[in-house]
Amino acid sequence: MSRALQDIVVVDLTTEFWASLAASMLGDFGARVIRVEDLSATPRDPDRDGHHPPEAAFDAEAELIHRNKQSIALDLSHPDDQTILKQLVGRADVFLTDWPFAAIEERGWGYEDLIAEKPNLIYARGSGFGPEGPDRDLPALDELAAARTGVMPSLPEPDQPPVFAASGQMYTMVMLALGIVTALYHRDETGEGQIVDASLLGGNMYAATLTLDAFMAMRDDRLGEPRPRFGAANPMSGISYPSADGRWVTLTMPDTDRWWPAFSAIVGLEVDDERFDSHEKRCGESRLEMMQVLEELFAKHPASHWRAEFDAKKLSADIIEKYDYPARDPQAKVNRYVLDLDHPSYGSFQSLGFPIHMSDTPARLRAMAPCRGQHTAEVLDELLGWSDARILEREQKEGGAGGEAA
Amino acid sequence: MAKPLEGIRVLDATVWFQGPVCAQFLADFGAEVIHVERPVTGDQARGVRSIAAVPVADWNQYFLAVNRNKKSIAIDLKKDEGRDLIYRLVEKSDVFLWNQGLESLEGLGLSYEKLSEINPKLIYATNSGYGHTGSVSKGAFDMTVQALTGIMARLGEPGEPPIYLGLGAGDAYGGLMGALGILLALVSRRRTGRGQYLDASLYGAQLFLAAPTLQAYLASQNDASANQQSRKQARNPLWNRYQASDRWLFLCVENDDDRWRRLCESLERPDLVQDRRFAAAEDRRENAAGLIVLLDEIIAGRTVAEWMQRWDAAGITASPVQAFRDLAEDEQAWANDYFSKVHCDEVGGEVVIRGLPVGLSKTPGSVETLGPELGQDTELILFDTLGIDWDRIGELKQLGVIP
Repeated sequence: MSRALQDIVVVDLTTEFWASLAASMLGDFGARVIRVEDLSATPRDPDRDGHHPPEAAFDAEAELIHRNKQSIALDLSHPDDQTILKQLVGRADVFLTDWPFAAIEERGWGYEDLIAEKPNLIYARGSGFGPEGPDRDLPALDELAAARTGVMPSLPEPDQPPVFAASGQMYTMVMLALGIVTALYHRDETGEGQIVDASLLGGNMYAATLTLDAFMAMRDDRLGEPRPRFGAANPMSGISYPSADGRWVTLTMPDTDRWWPAFSAIVGLEVDDERFDSHEKRCGESRLEMMQVLEELFAKHPASHWRAEFDAKKLSADIIEKYDYPARDPQAKVNRYVLDLDHPSYGSFQSLGFPIHMSDTPARLRAMAPCRGQHTAEVLDELLGWSDARILEREQKEGGAGGEAA
Repeated sequence: MAKPLEGIRVLDATVWFQGPVCAQFLADFGAEVIHVERPVTGDQARGVRSIAAVPVADWNQYFLAVNRNKKSIAIDLKKDEGRDLIYRLVEKSDVFLWNQGLESLEGLGLSYEKLSEINPKLIYATNSGYGHTGSVSKGAFDMTVQALTGIMARLGEPGEPPIYLGLGAGDAYGGLMGALGILLALVSRRRTGRGQYLDASLYGAQLFLAAPTLQAYLASQNDASANQQSRKQARNPLWNRYQASDRWLFLCVENDDDRWRRLCESLERPDLVQDRRFAAAEDRRENAAGLIVLLDEIIAGRTVAEWMQRWDAAGITASPVQAFRDLAEDEQAWANDYFSKVHCDEVGGEVVIRGLPVGLSKTPGSVETLGPELGQDTELILFDTLGIDWDRIGELKQLGVIP
């Protein structure tokens, strides 16, 4: 089977979830991704925010963000290993890092430094706030960027705390991967490498595109303020109602005239109920009354009843599910969005799969997340041409740092 | 400056947001993107009159911003002559993009088999609702699909209604995933000389969008982690949202003793360092609810600006929770081209829209024009690209194939 990024070598010097995931996506499509684990640094604590308590007996996050990678363990505080990093870049097509600009330049791994090793290198940087401007050196934390963007206060009901959805970093992740592949395409055409930049601020702004563009045009603060549920413009669109079992239904039927005959029948309203018999009434004089009526009607039956009705009438409406839904959903499995896997030490588990289907160059799971330094010897041999004797000497000197570190 | 996708022609037969935003990426970076629309009404997004219940003013930001840098051709695909025009365009294009339901493609004569037979180098991309295969065939809208992933039910305080991530917040993600697939297919085609079929669905993309919390759930299947999480119970009280006297802020401090001490000093509460309830990281985790109440009281005593000044000096990480109005003036967003100015005919001057998603140092993209008028490029594309003469163009108009 052919791979989209066959023969592409990526050196992955990343710390944060989203940046590491950008590298593993390149690996999913066939790139050889070499993850550099810095033995002189403290690894990121996945639970630093207190919202990611260790739940499984193994590192579930790693099985997503480091799959399809090889791991080399280097002591980046040591000159010998710093040289190895540069030599690896010399054999690579892409260097990807989310280290702070100042830190990476201080080490002598800036763009100008590394193109001395590889002139047409794609040098990709994930940052918090972009390479320009007064706040370029702020930490690359999605929380800070999301707070800055203006979307957090708009999400909840009025008088509720602003909401952090962690989706901005996922935008940044795919923008980083997209920038890299676009730059690879350009390099294949022209031989020219370049710097690729994607930031969490840019990613959070992208996630809010429609509302943000509207705000920039209208400068209407209502766009960024919480809107109560019954503040929706349309009782049948962009709104949710609780069902009898506490699960919610959600409706997206903006053109209500088209849906009204079928919709009125399933909720138990007369199609010619004169309070609601036109789009103008439903979204105008009777809007609030209709929401109150629907609130009562949806509370009469459990969510399963409503799903059956929505499906039978092919209405644009659904149930607000919890994470157990995609875990069980055959549609998610047959499209490989969710994978059933076997962990070599801990047995069966589920993981997110691949959001892009490609007929000729599909994403594939070639390797589970590596142990730290699992491929040190292999990488030194295959990419840098080290002899077995030299690798052995290094392993002995470093007390096993070339293998799995404690 | 050169753009990386110059010379790539894209037939963007999409509507609303997910497909159009996918093609937007290609257009921003130099591809010739032709938005293929039906005559008279065009892309339904042209009819948008309000956004988040606020009426759009003198121009339609939804359609015009999303379809920037594109051309528009209006063709009736249900007529044989219209289908023939698409076939001839497919011969001369690199990418065909569709998001109007996979079921309708066969009937329109636009299946992958058919189009790849016409042009084996064609990259045929779809933005489906629920995937390229499987039994589900129902309408897919941003909110109904967000609902299925489980992310809405996890956000917000316990007992509050589920949270919608914002208008189009899932659609745009599906679009970007589609663009990534197209770029991968372009890179692959350079080597193989062949095109291929790819799909990035709204459902698949949105499941990925939930990765920061969904991945852990999938591995553990621990139902508690699928529920709403209260900020009053955050296991790390130092990494939380707090309300200052004027507005909210986001405090992002790792729960270690050194940072705790510095935070206490910045709060002018050095006594707390000695408080046995909060002495060690484990204590602060166990007594989180009490600590959050305490921090709520202290932080409410000053403005965000006062706190930020102290915390900057003390190396404590935090950010004000801004409003759109603040972002609009934020130097950082402007310095990195995350906003773009572009001419708008309806306004008769410049307007501001979201700028470029990715910085490419040698081949930056650009925002040249807002979205096209319906069918504005129809005749020129038929004449220049397909070499159809003016007499025939006149006939096609008579037949109602083009406007």
